[in-house]
Amino acid sequence: MLELRGVSKRFSGIPAVDDVSFCARAGEVTGYLGPNGSGKSTTMKMVTGLIEASAGHIFFEGKRIQDNLIAYKRRMGYVPEEPYLYTHLSAIEYLTMVAQLRDLPLKQAVARIEAMLKLFSLHDDRHASISGYSKGMRQKVLIIAALLHNPQLVLLDEPFSGLDVGSSLVLRSLIQELAARGKVVLFSSHELDTVERICSRVVILHHGKLVADDSIARLRSLMELSSLEKIFAQLAVEQDTDSMARQIADLMYG
Amino acid sequence: MDDLIRKLVERLPLDFRVLFRQFFLRVIDLEALSIEADVERFLGQFAGVLIMLSLVHSVVTYVGSVVFTAPAERLAFFWHMEHYFIATMMLVIGLFTVISWDAAFPDRRDVMVLSPLPIANQTILFAKIAASLWIIGIAIVTLNCASGLLLPLLLDGQAGPRFGILQALPAWGFTLIAASVFLYGSVLTVQGLMALLLPRRIYLRLSAVLQLAAFGLFLGVYFVQPSLTDPISIADPRNHWILAASPTYWFFGLFNQLNGSLPAQLTWVAQRAWMGLGIAVVGSAMSLLLCYVRTMKKTVEEPDLVPGSSGLGWIPSLGNSLQNAVALFSVRSLARSRQHRVAFAFYLAFVVGLAFSLLRSQMAAGGKPVQVGMDFLISTFLMMFFMVAGFRSVFALPISLTANWVLRTTQLKPTEDYVAATRRTLLVLAVAPVWLLCAALAYRMSPTLQAFGHLAVLALLGFVLVEVSLIHFYKVPFTCSYLPGKANFQLTFWGFVVVLISVVVPCAEFELRALHDADRYGFMLCFLVGAGGGLYAFNLHSAKSAAIHFEELPDEAITTLKLNA
Repeated sequence: MLELRGVSKRFSGIPAVDDVSFCARAGEVTGYLGPNGSGKSTTMKMVTGLIEASAGHIFFEGKRIQDNLIAYKRRMGYVPEEPYLYTHLSAIEYLTMVAQLRDLPLKQAVARIEAMLKLFSLHDDRHASISGYSKGMRQKVLIIAALLHNPQLVLLDEPFSGLDVGSSLVLRSLIQELAARGKVVLFSSHELDTVERICSRVVILHHGKLVADDSIARLRSLMELSSLEKIFAQLAVEQDTDSMARQIADLMYG
Repeated sequence: MDDLIRKLVERLPLDFRVLFRQFFLRVIDLEALSIEADVERFLGQFAGVLIMLSLVHSVVTYVGSVVFTAPAERLAFFWHMEHYFIATMMLVIGLFTVISWDAAFPDRRDVMVLSPLPIANQTILFAKIAASLWIIGIAIVTLNCASGLLLPLLLDGQAGPRFGILQALPAWGFTLIAASVFLYGSVLTVQGLMALLLPRRIYLRLSAVLQLAAFGLFLGVYFVQPSLTDPISIADPRNHWILAASPTYWFFGLFNQLNGSLPAQLTWVAQRAWMGLGIAVVGSAMSLLLCYVRTMKKTVEEPDLVPGSSGLGWIPSLGNSLQNAVALFSVRSLARSRQHRVAFAFYLAFVVGLAFSLLRSQMAAGGKPVQVGMDFLISTFLMMFFMVAGFRSVFALPISLTANWVLRTTQLKPTEDYVAATRRTLLVLAVAPVWLLCAALAYRMSPTLQAFGHLAVLALLGFVLVEVSLIHFYKVPFTCSYLPGKANFQLTFWGFVVVLISVVVPCAEFELRALHDADRYGFMLCFLVGAGGGLYAFNLHSAKSAAIHFEELPDEAITTLKLNA
């Protein structure tokens, strides 16, 4: 289980994440939602160990991650929000490097990389430089790199970004399959339809603070709203969207 | 004056001014700099090196003008300095053209960003050219700020310029500008013709090769071409092929023609400069214009995904998996990044040049064994030094800072393992090739025992240099941001020159004596083993309490006094 207890992050005194506590359990997909600038990616970076929390603690399977960050990283796979890769390498070179950095047995790792590249339809372009890859292809490389070592904790920050319909459907099923096999999956996205389909529970963040943490079904019945989109709009969207759209159009014409 | 300049600048079209600033700042890749650094400071440091060089040149010129009093000696000295200054100016401009290789041509980023905007192609072209010329102008001014004024002043007393300084100063200024424009224009012409005639994919590959070839050519000509600056050697017909082939002599002739001091029989040398200048200006203008009309379309039509070669499918084993990962990442980064290749080529040029000079002296011996002497010892020391220093320098330049998250999230080993991986990389990529090259050169040397003895010393020296370069280097090669201010390039550069001169020669003298004296040789080996072992232990110990750096930060501005300690 992944647990955040009173986690805060301040940048130059300004809180980006403020006293956030929630759990992501094994065997379920936890959706992590929030509007732009709500602190989702900052939380993800704290959970990956890329940045340290200003206050509070993060626990994985009952142990503070900072106590043995290396052991924690061995069990964690991460797909970041932006597909930043070493673009001078080919996909196979990049993935082999990640396998080596993770100290995986090389033969086994190469066989797994080859098989995953085939399943993600990247095998034909595996020797081409990543600089020429489309956003979707880069996203697939990131997903393979995150899953290569069979992690217990899977952190997905906008994993569907740039993927085509077919690949999105595969990834959607894969996330559910991973959860079914007992992994802890924390999934951050703006695609509320997808979140509603695959997540057992959701955590919603607004202005760095937690505003909801429950199963989608329970939130629906509590708030008497029919969809996650409506729940999200009520909890985390302040402006009247229709009026805002009209104002933008008026500005264009004015 | 400031108001006048501002008014003049404000008369230029706004889109030109915006693009000019963008292209000017892009001569230095911002991605390579730390977030704490700024481009102006970085350029300022390079300008500082050129100004310092100009001051040194001035001192040497002034001392020479005092020392050489006889007319023949004085003439030879001034000719030598004139040629040397022109050659140095052309080298600096040559290095600039190599560093800003494709800056004048539209790249994919320009086309994709600027094409949808209502900006004319010619505005982009003029802004790019203006940005490049502005930097060339800065280089000309800084490199000649002192020596460029002093030389014409001292020539005032010489026979030649009818109107004294009033003739010598403009002649000198024009010559320097003409030599710079000639070199820059020639490179643009060759690049433009290649871009026009070749398919784009082949052009891109050949362009990288041509860039390195140009780098080698500029350095090679500067360091290897013979000096013909006394009237006798210049008049000798056997040397005329050098005058005919070398542009540095053409512009030497041009200056003396403008200054009224060129012997009549050398007018043809100056004519070559005029012709070369004309061809370079017209050729570069034509090829650039055509490129902006034709190549921009090719850039848009270029396929997104270029299939790569499958390679050998074999991964060499250079140690454990982390060491393999770091070594292969280093090799691939160096091989595929143009910026890093160029920076490394600067050091490699010295290594190759020294190797060629040793080979040339062996060939001159006509098959007879060459004695192990000072030149061999100094050259091999310097080769090892430049190779290790070259790798260490390029390791500090990042390739893609935004992609470093993967190294952070996969950091499963302590810092000392990463330092060990970098050590292994340096030993395999820097020390081993130089040692093997020196062993090949030592094969024909005599006495054999002394040659082998030196190779043992060289191997230990390589290890010591690697350990020195690893002091406080808690980084994965090519991943940490670069902070120009912290590197203090200007001080490092001059410190580097002084240390080289003052340390290498006495060390070589000591070793030469040691090769004839077993006790002294034993002491030398023990010293190197001790130094290497001590540095190894120091690096291991200090790495245990260090974290891997991905962002170079400036030193703290506030120092605590620790009064409560």
